[in-house]
Amino acid sequence: MAAVKRLKRVAAAQPGFMSFKSSAGSDDLNSGQRKRVNKNKKKNWNKHSDIQDVEEFLDDVRLQERATGGLISEKPDDSLFFVDIGEQRKYVQPEVQEGKKGKKSKSRPLRIDLILQHDSLVPPPKDILAHQQPNAKKLRRIAENAEKLAAMGVLPRRQKRLLNRRPAVTASKSKTAANNFPDRPYYDLWGGDAKETADPYYLEQTGKKRVKRPEKLNSKPSVLPAVEVIAPGGSYNPDFFSHQALLLEAHEVEVKRERAELRIERQLAVNREDTATEETVFQELVEGLVEEEEDEDEEEEDVSIRGGLQQEKKTEKERRRERADKIKSQQKQAARVFTDKKQQLFQLRSIQATLKRGEQQTRERVAQRKANQEAEKSMPRRLGRLRFQAQDLEVQLSDEIPGSLRTLKPEGSVLKDRFKSMQKRNMIEPRERAKFKRRHKVKYVEKRAFREIT
Amino acid sequence: MGGLQKKKYERGSATNYITRNKARKKLQLSLADFRRLCILKGIYPHEPKHKKKVNKGSTAPRTFYLLKDIRFLLHEPIVRKFREYKVFVRKLRKAYGKAEWTAVERLRDNKPGYKLDHIIKERYPTFIDALRDIDDALSMCFLFSTFARTGKCHVQTITLCRRLTVEWMNYVVTSRSLRKVFISIKGIYYQAEVLGQLITWLVPYQFAHDHPTDVDYRVMATFTEMYTTLFGFINFRLYQTLNLVYPPKKLSALSASLARVVATAEEEEENQLDQFPADGEDLENMEAREKEQKEQEAQNRLFEGLKFFLNREVPRESLAFILRCFGAEVSWDKSLCIGGTYNVTDETITHQIVDRPDIDKQYINRYYIQPQWVFDSVNAKMRLPVEDYFLGVTLPPHLSPFVEEKDGDYVPPEKLKLMALQRGEKHVQEEEEDDDDDDDDEEYNDEVDDEDLTEEKNLKKMEDQRSQGKTLAVKVTPGKVKPWETGSVGNKVRLEKEEKAEEKRLAIMMMKKKEKYLYDKIMFGKKRTTREANKLAAKRKAHEDTSKAEKKQKKAKKQ
Repeated sequence: MAAVKRLKRVAAAQPGFMSFKSSAGSDDLNSGQRKRVNKNKKKNWNKHSDIQDVEEFLDDVRLQERATGGLISEKPDDSLFFVDIGEQRKYVQPEVQEGKKGKKSKSRPLRIDLILQHDSLVPPPKDILAHQQPNAKKLRRIAENAEKLAAMGVLPRRQKRLLNRRPAVTASKSKTAANNFPDRPYYDLWGGDAKETADPYYLEQTGKKRVKRPEKLNSKPSVLPAVEVIAPGGSYNPDFFSHQALLLEAHEVEVKRERAELRIERQLAVNREDTATEETVFQELVEGLVEEEEDEDEEEEDVSIRGGLQQEKKTEKERRRERADKIKSQQKQAARVFTDKKQQLFQLRSIQATLKRGEQQTRERVAQRKANQEAEKSMPRRLGRLRFQAQDLEVQLSDEIPGSLRTLKPEGSVLKDRFKSMQKRNMIEPRERAKFKRRHKVKYVEKRAFREIT
Repeated sequence: MGGLQKKKYERGSATNYITRNKARKKLQLSLADFRRLCILKGIYPHEPKHKKKVNKGSTAPRTFYLLKDIRFLLHEPIVRKFREYKVFVRKLRKAYGKAEWTAVERLRDNKPGYKLDHIIKERYPTFIDALRDIDDALSMCFLFSTFARTGKCHVQTITLCRRLTVEWMNYVVTSRSLRKVFISIKGIYYQAEVLGQLITWLVPYQFAHDHPTDVDYRVMATFTEMYTTLFGFINFRLYQTLNLVYPPKKLSALSASLARVVATAEEEEENQLDQFPADGEDLENMEAREKEQKEQEAQNRLFEGLKFFLNREVPRESLAFILRCFGAEVSWDKSLCIGGTYNVTDETITHQIVDRPDIDKQYINRYYIQPQWVFDSVNAKMRLPVEDYFLGVTLPPHLSPFVEEKDGDYVPPEKLKLMALQRGEKHVQEEEEDDDDDDDDEEYNDEVDDEDLTEEKNLKKMEDQRSQGKTLAVKVTPGKVKPWETGSVGNKVRLEKEEKAEEKRLAIMMMKKKEKYLYDKIMFGKKRTTREANKLAAKRKAHEDTSKAEKKQKKAKKQ
């Protein structure tokens, strides 16, 4: 009751409040005869103190906080005002962007974002409904029960089915499948259990049977050994004569090469005297033009004509004579053959000698051919377009021979040696680096600007 | 016209061969993939005997493969993997181009790979086959392990090669299989005997790597891929034969592992096999074999009990490997590499290997020698006298153990000395620089010459007598044992030689005329080589004499 009365009185005291009672009653407060109230009592602080100005001030503050994000008096000048200089002439300024990534700097926020920020100090009210779950307790209880069961080993049906499915391939398998990773595990390849435990017919029918490797592939392509030891002259501290022998070999190779070059030069050589001089050129041009010795030509013509007229038909006489001659010569020949045959009996020894010589020659040739074939087995075969180029002998000259292992400078490259050895043993074919061939010719075009100049 | 006409190039050798491009198209692979496949499977091109027939009339040089080989390649499962890889590369490039990073990651995780195990099993069905082919694999792996770890070839390959080579060296050390070493200007050649197979390999020097441009690196990388796989399996099997664990741990130092392993090695040596004489074998052969075995075991303990220290400038890995192979203890300065067990100051060191002209601090109870002593001792199968290899001394030449001289060839005097040492005959040790007696040299040369000359003379005498038709005065009488001056080892050898010469003479006398003719021809050829060898020896002597004379003059001038 008292509270209601108080409220009414407070409401009535607000400015502009029209109460049901007439204003004559309210005039009482404003006109002279005011009721004297004791403001020192706590009961009267609420009723008769006028806190309108404070309330106004506070309302104003609250409004500012709500609407503009803080007191306006505390805001910096730049956020409230800007100096209007008038229209600015726009000219391109090279913007030095230091340390900013990309064209639009991502470190500065967008203007629209700044404008649309809510800058009120009053936070938005939180949505308690979002945190409310009607049956949270029940769900929690169910989860706990499921955990307990899972700990004991009883799983719901769905999970059981998932687990029974085959597990997916893990990522670690792909990394270890590489062939050359350093900690690669090895196992006993030749011992161990045989994998071919299945029936061979079954394997054949299902297409899982491994094809047998052809026998010819097991033979080595060359009889040369894999690692050929260098001659004793190639030691780092060689014996005098073996070193000389090696130097001699290298020397012979160089001599051969020089001779080949000389040969080519000789083939291309032209005799100095054969070059055309002015006289000879003139002679050639003039030949046949000068009129000399015309008489001789006429005589030669007569002889040829006479020879041609002689060929007339043969007479009978001539034919008979020819036939008789033929018979006679045939008889003579037969007689000669007969006597030859008789005489051969006395020539037996010489005949035997010639036969022996012939046989020996054939035997020699056969042996030579066999030797050639054997030698070819150790030679590198021609396997492609390029021929095999043997590498240079590794030799150190007499003044390069080191006195000690410390001062030794290695000669030749083992990598190249292995590569050439594989070519020599017919394992790979000699190849050269592929050249860069252009499909179409490059065209050079002058720029238009330059074309105008020149 | 009756009957079908035979068309050219439809049967015979023309249909057995196929050109490289046709083979490639048949397999549907790119050229690089085709080459890789051929290298991995061991399929090599062939040169046909009649090129014109195979090439259908033209003589253009082409690469030919056997058609059966290519048909065999069609069944290879790796071919599928190559095609998958090609597709993978294409997809990856597209994903990169479209900047789809999740797709890139996913593709990378599922990168297709292949294994070569079944190929190795197919190419080398038994272990011994693989062991025969290991020379090439060894040399390649050693070569790759010396490469610098730049991006030119995969660093993983280099690491794998390094691991495999260290494992192999550890095996050789444990089984004491090293037999020969040769230091050449190209690299170091080793020969070991493993399970009855002689294996030779070449190790390049660690320094001096110029990468030649005309070597195809892709081809070499493919070879290495195959060889590393093969090598790994062989290592595993070899370790199994020694009952060692594979892969061994902490092998980079080669120092600690040996201590663990020495015990097993000793156990093996103690179990000597009983000597069962095989049927039909004489006692002689068995004795010979026993002798060989004993020699082998003696050789294996060549450096046993000695303690070595390697100085900084000496090739550490090579020497450590060799010394350990023969039972020595090795160490080096700790700052060089891990694994140096004892320091320079250790008093029990017996030999220190130095390569400098001189060294400042010298301990009394150890020898300071140059590294060639180790190599020469290994090749000579005995500990050579150390005096020839002191610091500052001009070394004797390093002879190649891979050369086997035949009867009449030139044998360098150093080798003769070595053989004499091996036989145990003592004679005055002389160094090349001494101006005093070099009689021994001449003695040995003369001995060799004398023997040949006496043989020649005898044979000539026999021939002359025979040709004259006289009966020879030699009769077969029961053998008499002649008393010799002193009963040293050399006399036995001489007796044997005499017997052999006698038998030879008898055999010559009993030959027919034709055979004798051939024999004379052969002997003439042989004698020619001996004559040349003698000429060379005489030259050498002359050279030495002149150099000695010069030195004498110099000495006289100094004084």
